Formats: sequence, structure tokens, C-alpha cells
Amino acid sequence: MFNLIKAELKKIFRKKSFLIVTIIFILYCLLTNVIYKEMDNILEVDETYYTDTNISNNLDLTNQEDLEEYLNNKTKNEINDIKKNNDSSMEYIIDNYLYNLVYEKNKIKYTSKDEEELTKIEKELAETLKYINNNDWEYFVNLKITNLKAELKEDESNSRLKELISLNEYRLTNKVDYSYKNYLNNAIIAIETDLLEYYNFKSKDNLSKEEQERYNYLQEEMALNNYILKHKVDANNTSNLNAVLKEFPANFGLFILIYVIMISGSIVSEEFNKGTIKYLLTKPHKRSTILASKLLTVLLLIPLIIIFMCLIEILIGGFTLGFNSLNIPILIYNSSTNLIESYSVIKYLSILLITTLPEFLILGVLCFLLSTITTSTSAAITITFLFYLMSNVISNLALMYNLKIFNYFIALHWNFNYLLTKTPNPYNFKPLFSLGIIAIYLIVMLCLTFIYFNKKDVKNI
Amino acid sequence: MSILKVENLSKKFGQKEILKNVSFEINEGDILAFIGPNGAGKTTTIKCILGLQKITKGEVIINGYNIKKNFVKAITKVGCLVESPDVYMYLSGYENLVMQASYYKKITEEDLMKIIQLVGLENRIYDKVSKYSLGMRERLGIAIALINKPNLLILDEPTNGLDPEGIKELRELLIKLSKEKIGILISSHNLSELETFCNKVCILSKGEILSLNSIKEIKNIDENKYILKIDNTTKVKKYLSNIDKILDKNYIEVIKDENDIAKFIKELVLNDINVYEVKKEALSLEEAFIKIAGGKKIV
Ligand SMILES: Nc1ncnc2c1ncn2[C@@H]1O[C@H](COP(=O)(O)OP(=O)(O)OP(=O)(O)O)[C@@H](O)[C@H]1O
Ligand SMILES: [Mg+2]
Repeated sequence: MFNLIKAELKKIFRKKSFLIVTIIFILYCLLTNVIYKEMDNILEVDETYYTDTNISNNLDLTNQEDLEEYLNNKTKNEINDIKKNNDSSMEYIIDNYLYNLVYEKNKIKYTSKDEEELTKIEKELAETLKYINNNDWEYFVNLKITNLKAELKEDESNSRLKELISLNEYRLTNKVDYSYKNYLNNAIIAIETDLLEYYNFKSKDNLSKEEQERYNYLQEEMALNNYILKHKVDANNTSNLNAVLKEFPANFGLFILIYVIMISGSIVSEEFNKGTIKYLLTKPHKRSTILASKLLTVLLLIPLIIIFMCLIEILIGGFTLGFNSLNIPILIYNSSTNLIESYSVIKYLSILLITTLPEFLILGVLCFLLSTITTSTSAAITITFLFYLMSNVISNLALMYNLKIFNYFIALHWNFNYLLTKTPNPYNFKPLFSLGIIAIYLIVMLCLTFIYFNKKDVKNI
Repeated sequence: MSILKVENLSKKFGQKEILKNVSFEINEGDILAFIGPNGAGKTTTIKCILGLQKITKGEVIINGYNIKKNFVKAITKVGCLVESPDVYMYLSGYENLVMQASYYKKITEEDLMKIIQLVGLENRIYDKVSKYSLGMRERLGIAIALINKPNLLILDEPTNGLDPEGIKELRELLIKLSKEKIGILISSHNLSELETFCNKVCILSKGEILSLNSIKEIKNIDENKYILKIDNTTKVKKYLSNIDKILDKNYIEVIKDENDIAKFIKELVLNDINVYEVKKEALSLEEAFIKIAGGKKIV
């Protein structure tokens, strides 16, 4: 048996199609990593400048909306100028605190035209700019703390204010400036933004379904960002190797599928089409042994190829995005305990791939069955691919309509990712039930394949 | 000792009966020429013997094992080349041999080298098969058939694409093998290639065995070939049967037994055709075959 599998592997690896797909995969891999790397730059702040004619074009300044747009554009121009002359540590302050000031100034300048107020705000603006140009981010933190403490005096039991104060104190003790490149800053900003909504939901009793969903989402975000602050892990970074690996099936699932159907769709039918089956079936081995060796080859090769793809991705991703992010753990929010669980990249990736594997094994066996019955590689590949597309449609339909017949459809059962992400199964299936359904499908498909292959006549080619 | 025994082999594709009660036997040292026109069922018979196609009725016994019931034991000492040498084109000749050998136990590299030399491929064996000529592929196919040191060798049209030198070598190889107590079944269109070294011939037509004889018997059927020299061959056309031939301006060839040739000559003479010379020749296997198969032409 070992010899037979070895021979099958040799046949597969020596084929041109295998080499070609691998080369395409490597290129695709490179592209994906470059996109991940450039993602931040692509989404970078809008730096459009508006010329005066451009701003006033078609704008009727007596109209409230148009006026606002005009003021916004004016403000943006000024903010862009300021940003150019500053390093990144003040980014968030410029975008928010300063923006509001400049907007206010422009509003007075172009609408009320109150000289007194204008000089007052211009003075404040100049003062603020001084701190900004000195990169004195701590000034703004202290300013905020002072304001918050004043607020707290009036409403002493307000836990939201307390939390905001402690967030800003965290900035001071951990020297977190306002740069978007600083993940701690991003986590703090995220919490600050969500906090008000979060406390609103928390104090409310009867949440509607949508509100409950939103509240769950906020809870998850809060837990995640608090964990990031507490343990200082850069887990939300979307442009490192870690992020690519975290989404491995989403990024490379199509290529896994291509490998799977390419191998299992041709392993039997090609021998028939090329006539090599005549030599194979006149060897001193039972037909079922020959078929079993081919099946085992496929089943063995699918996980091996996924591992191979991972290694290539880690290598290419490492060179384009850097290897150091592999040390950062991947965080998972457990909705039932409301706690964050931390996984090393390797552990996360292993579990992710194991829970994704059943899907590809089943598609592989299906393609193998079709390849044996039709002895046509293209038919096997096309039908399996169509089945895959159709199963996506049915999975979505099953989410919308709760029909009993869907419960026995394999595609609803073959993905176990929910066990890793600690979310409930979207269809409320128990893992054991899913495994049972998978076993039944596999047994039926394999029986068909073996019975058919044993009876098959080798026709003329 | 009997190596291959085919008993009442029948094969149906749907309603169509392709083989009808085919029976023959191959003993040690036998070379059986398996002959028949296109579509007679030669390849089908061979595939049934090898277990490549299911047998509708009848038995195939190889080295004492029934191919249906004991496939692995029956097939172990069989080497075959069916129709065309279909090997893995993306591998080299040598890799193909190694691959085929890996399905058997204990075939050494030396064994392979010996076989490669035997079929005369030593210069090109490391080239990709996709770069081979048809004859070279055929040689590779023969090498694969010999790889497990078979005692039953089944070759379906092995002379396809071989040059005269190759055919001669194959002939010598087969004669040598048959002396080593191997049984050989060989089907071919080129009957004249087989007649010199086969000792048995099996003629198949429309799925039925027409004649199963030793070569000597076939050649000694009481009909003979006569070459006649006459004055003008254009005049004799109406006296010839469909297996007789006009060779050129003065010579004709007729196949008749002794009584008939006498009558034939008499008839010519009575019709004012001068006969200068009559030469008796033994029938070639091909001619005997055409005669037995009822004058069917081999395309
Ligand atoms: N799969 C099939 N289904 C139906 N009929 C078939 C099938 N395979 C072969 N036949 C028929 O069986 C008959 C014998 O075919 P076979 O290939 O055995 O002939 P052959 O003697 O090898 O001919 P050739 O000398 O041309 O190689 C033919 O009439 C053919 O049409
Ligand atoms: Mg044939």
C-alpha cells in the first residue's frame, strides 16, 4: 500500500498542472500580502485640497447645507496644511480637537462675523497650535482629565466618566501619544468612541433584537480593546502577517479548492483517458486496493497541501510584511463568558485549518467519486465546482428560511470554524450531529465509488 | 504444462454478443498467433483474460488460478501490452519502468537494466517519453510487459510502429523466451511476421474461433498455391475465383487442391490458353488464413 501511495504521489507531483497552479498560487500569495501591506496607505486620510473656485462652485451660501459644506472644505484645507508640518504624534488631536476649533473659527468668520468672538477663538487656536507644534501631547491629555474631573464633580456616580479618566491616565503612565500608528492610541480611541453607546445600552432594560446585536458587538469591542490595553498586544493590526494568517481560509480558500479538485478530479479519470489504467489494473493488486491507494493519496494530500500553502504564505508574508508579528497572539472573544482568550498564531492557525478541513475533504471525495464514475476530468471538476457554488447559495438560504430539509444538506455541516471563534453555530447544530451527517455522506459516496470501480470495464480509448 | 486456459469465454456489451464460446489453451513454450480481421474481438478477448473487462460467461485460468475468483494470484506472473503502450508521457522511460516495477515485489535496478538492453532502449531511456517515437514507445511497452519476469506474455499487436530491425529483434526475443518455458499470446495484423515462429494459430472472426491449429496443420491443408506461366493473363480472368490473383502479364496465382488444379489447367488449355509452367508452393499463413476465414480481406 505504501508503495502504491508513493507512486501516486510521484505521478501528481510530476504533472505540469500541479507546477503551474503552484506558481500561480505563489504569485497570488505575493499579491495578497502586498495588498495587506498597502491597505493602510490606500485608506489613508483624504488629502484633497479645494481651491476657492472649486469650493464655491454651485454652492449657495444662504442655504444651510451648502454653507456647512463650504465651511467643512475650508476647514479641511487648513487642517491639511497643519498636518503637513507636524509629525504623527498629534494626528488624532489635529483631526478632532483642532478641527472643531478651526471649524468654529471659520463659522464665525463667514457667518456671524463677530469680531470679538473671532479674536477670542483665534487666540485659543494660536495657543493650541503652539502645543501641537511642540508635539506636547501630554498637555491635551491633562486638559481632558481636568475637564472630565470637573464633569465628574457634578455627577459623582457616573462610571463612564470614571472610565474615561482612567483611560487618559493610562495615556500618561504608558506614554501613549495621539498617533494612528500607535495601536494603544487606536484602542483608547475605539473605547472612547463606543463608551457612550455602550453605557446607554447597559442601563436600558428591554433591548430590541437589533439593539441586542449592537450591544453584543459593543461588548466584544470593549473586551477586545481593554485586553489590548491591559496586555499591550497589537492584535487589531490589519496589515501584518498575523492578519493574513488569521483570515487564511478567506484569503486562500479558493486555491485550496483548486488544488483539491485538480488532484481528486484527475487521479482516476486521467488513467482511464490516457490508457495507463491497463497497466495499473493488470498489476497483482485488487482493484479496491488500487482505488484505496488513490483515495488515501487524495485524503493525505489535502491537509499536506494546506500546510504547504501555509508555509509558503508565512515565507512570502514574512518577507513582505515582516516575521515579527508572528509573536503577537490572536485574540478571540468568547461570547458566553464575555472573556478574551489568547491563542498563539500557530495554535490558532492549526485549529482554524482543522475546523476548515472537513469541507475540503468532502469536496475532494465528491470530486473523486465523479472522477471515477464519469472518467472525465473536466466533468468531475466542473460539477464539484458548481456544487461548491450551489452550497454557498443554499447555506445562505438556510439562514433566511428555516426549512427542515436543509438540516440534512452537507454544506451546513462541514464548517466547524464556530468552535474556534467561540460563536454559536449559525444553524444551531450540535457538532456531533454535524459529524454524523458528514459520516453518512462520506460512507455513501465511498461505497458508490468502490462498487462502481470494481465493476468497471476498461473500454477502448 | 498449461499456462493459460480459456474455456467457453463469452462477452456481451448490452445485447451485442462480442465473443461467443471462445476456447483455447497455451502451454509452456507455446507461441500462439491470435489472428482475426478488425473488430473480430481479439482485444476484447485479451482484456477478458487480463481481468480488464468482466467476463459474461466462461472461465479463464492462468497458472491454475481463476482470474475471476483469484485475480491477484492469477495475474502475478502475467506480462501484457494491450493495444498501445500507454505510459506516463511526462515521465522518462526509466521512471516509467521504475513506477511499473514498484507495483511488484523485489525488482532490482539490474533487472531493469537487463530489460532495457533487451529491448534496445539503453541510449534513450532517460529521455521523457513525450520525446519518443512510436516505435520507441512500443519497445518501452514490451519492456514493461517483461518487467515482472512473466511466464505468460500477452502482446496485442506489438509490432505496431516497429521498424524491420525491431520486428526481427522482437521475433528473436520471443523465440528465446518461449524456450524458457514461457507461454506467449500474440495478436498481430501482419501475419507473415508471425508465421515463421509461431507454433499455434487461432483464427477469430466475429467473436468466434474459426480454426485452432498448429502452424504445420494450417500449412498442410491439402490446398496449395500454384504459380502458372501462361501466354496472356488478360484472357483468364473469368476462370479465376476471388482468392486467385493475376500477378503480371504472364503469371497468375491460384489456390486449389490437386484435383482442381488439374481441371483448371485442362480448362485453360481447352480454351486456347497456353500454359508454359506450373510451380507448386506452400501456402503462407496469411493465405491459409484468408482461405479459412472465407476469403475475408484483412484491412
Ligand atoms: N465498449 C464497447 N461497447 C460495445 N462494443 C464494443 C466495445 N468495445 C468493443 N466493442 C466491439 O467489439 C468488437 C471487437 O472489438 P475488438 O476491439 O476486440 O476488436 P479487435 O479484434 O481487437 O480489432 P482490431 O484488429 O481492430 O484491433 C467490435 O465490433 C467492437 O465494435
Ligand atoms: Mg485490437
